[in-house]
Amino acid sequence: MAVILLSALTLALAVFALTQRRLLWGVIGVGAHSLALAGVYLFLAAPDVALTQAAVGFGLVTFIYLLALRRTGKLTVVAAETPPLLHQDGEHVAGLEWEILSRLGRQLHRDVEVLWVTRAEIPRLLRAGEADVGAGGYLPRTDDGVVLSRPLIPTRIVAVRCGPGPCGAVAGDRCQDCLPASSVTYEDHRELASALRSGEIGEAVADLLHVRQWVLSGEVQPSETKDGGEAAFRFAVAPGEEDVRQALDALLAELERSGELARLIARYIG
Amino acid sequence: MRVLTALSLLALAGLLALGVSGVFPRPELPSADEVAAEWGAENVVAAIILGVRLWDTLFEILVYAMTIVGVKLGLRLLRWERPLPPVAETPLLRRSADLLLGPVVVFALYVAVSGHLGPGGGFPAGAILGTALLLLALAKGVERLSAEIHEPALEWAEYGAIVAILALAGGLLLLGRRGSGYLVAANVLIALEVAIGAWVVLHRFASSRGEV
Repeated sequence: MAVILLSALTLALAVFALTQRRLLWGVIGVGAHSLALAGVYLFLAAPDVALTQAAVGFGLVTFIYLLALRRTGKLTVVAAETPPLLHQDGEHVAGLEWEILSRLGRQLHRDVEVLWVTRAEIPRLLRAGEADVGAGGYLPRTDDGVVLSRPLIPTRIVAVRCGPGPCGAVAGDRCQDCLPASSVTYEDHRELASALRSGEIGEAVADLLHVRQWVLSGEVQPSETKDGGEAAFRFAVAPGEEDVRQALDALLAELERSGELARLIARYIG
Repeated sequence: MRVLTALSLLALAGLLALGVSGVFPRPELPSADEVAAEWGAENVVAAIILGVRLWDTLFEILVYAMTIVGVKLGLRLLRWERPLPPVAETPLLRRSADLLLGPVVVFALYVAVSGHLGPGGGFPAGAILGTALLLLALAKGVERLSAEIHEPALEWAEYGAIVAILALAGGLLLLGRRGSGYLVAANVLIALEVAIGAWVVLHRFASSRGEV
């Protein structure tokens, strides 16, 4: 009877280990599975094999996996490239958000890996568990289905009009909510700006940071600007990663308290 | 893919059920006392070790030693120059390592010394000792531990242990000596060799991370 119960437990733990998304839980599952298997051997009258199975399977292998996990566990960040906040600079990633993310990675003993995606893909990747953190000037929308960090930088939603034509915004962005029904969406802010410049659209809705960049670089000469209300850049965190969100919030609170965040904003944004 | 997974899971469950159901006949075994008396050993475990398992263990140890040499040579070819980031100490891990280390080492010694009379033996004892070393490595960081335990001396101890095991086991098997003192010595040496081997493999892997 004990053998049948322990065998069933072994199978259940194997399935548990296979279905875990977090590697740490997977390793714990494999360890527990080894221990249950040692129990099966014990009740099948093979204490010798049980002892070896427990020592090697539960002890050595679990420890080696834990050590490897501690050294190579990755924190995957999906982001839309947003120059002063998070962007590729040659071989390295740079920007204000990178400063915060790399600190977070050091705190959690995980290497930060940034994957560049479009804004619309970020919530889907986070919900699917393909990534841990979403970044790159993330303006939250109500139906994204992700967990949000504390506000990082306050900003405003701005509509800029340059001429006649329809209204446009970046697909998936918060600004899309402010658009009238017959409007165009673009994959990222670069495409939006070039569409605005070429006269494909007459009005663009974006956040203040991007609009300021367009105006400063002379890309866009707005004839009229309209305020669309307050918003704030945040980090998006995958729904299952409550501990990452807590660590991120604690880090942001600490940066805010020590004035380091203000220094970073002054340095990167001005 | 899902159907395949489900099918293989079902097949595994069926195999397990068949194995424990008693469908397969068990072979008739001679009585334990007869076997022990035949070999002049204290009990049946010692008799089996003398008769069969010692050969087994001998070749296990040879394969294990060869694996370690392979890992050493193979990883030497892959260069690594990037310094490892220091691992942050966590008080919880250090305290539990302090608490657990003593009992784990004592248990490993017990398993090694009593291995010829009951469940246990050199190999599990070595694995348990290796776990104790890994626990220390987790708590202190691999590089610090490696500097503290003086690895070159450890490697020479390992080579010495291999030679002694081969000599001892070969002598036991060829001359047919039946003293349990020899078995205890062989088990302790095997434990030493397995533990050091586990440490060497772990250290090589840990210090060449990402370059493989």
